[in-house]
Amino acid sequence: MDERDVAVRNVTYHLFVDRGRAPTNADVATAAGASADEIRASWRRLHDAHAIVLHPGTSELRMANPFSAVASAFRVHAGGRSWYANCAWDAFGICAALHVDGRIETVCADCDEAIECEIRAARPSDESLLFHCLVPASAWWDDIVFT
Amino acid sequence: MNLFRSEEHVLRWLDGREPGATLSATKLSELAHAWWSDRLDTDWQPHVRDQNQAILTSLGLTDDFWQLP
Repeated sequence: MDERDVAVRNVTYHLFVDRGRAPTNADVATAAGASADEIRASWRRLHDAHAIVLHPGTSELRMANPFSAVASAFRVHAGGRSWYANCAWDAFGICAALHVDGRIETVCADCDEAIECEIRAARPSDESLLFHCLVPASAWWDDIVFT
Repeated sequence: MNLFRSEEHVLRWLDGREPGATLSATKLSELAHAWWSDRLDTDWQPHVRDQNQAILTSLGLTDDFWQLP
């Protein structure tokens, strides 16, 4: 991963934020003035460096953490737009990355009861909620989708 | 990495599996803001392992569970 890859990564993230969904490599190629092949190669290097996550065996975006390219149980609304997050940590992370207040919609992983949590000035409106991380930090990247 | 209504819900969800780590939503928000706040900066650079470990340490997450590889 070199400086050009970081630039491709930054374009990828900003398109993701602006559109509320994952860009394709063709979208990024157009915005970056590069070819789709160049973007695919750059995304692969970024994936290998854990800067983004691609769908297994493809050159399609799966995660630009904290943003999720696929629908998930974690929906974040902020600044009039919405994104999916990869997990509870990432749901809070979207507000952090955007530096805005927001609202997280998810469910209790045990009972499926709806949870809505406002984030204001970096604090959750419901401080009684608990976060559980099952996988130890040493193994997070063994299977980042499961983590 | 999920949210739960209470400790009772965490334990039921675990269903006998070895627990990981449980944090309050307040601590999670602190962690998320420390971890992700630079993600959209125009001068963003990849975090090295020691930067990320320092974030965890600064929040008191220092036991073996939180040791990065």
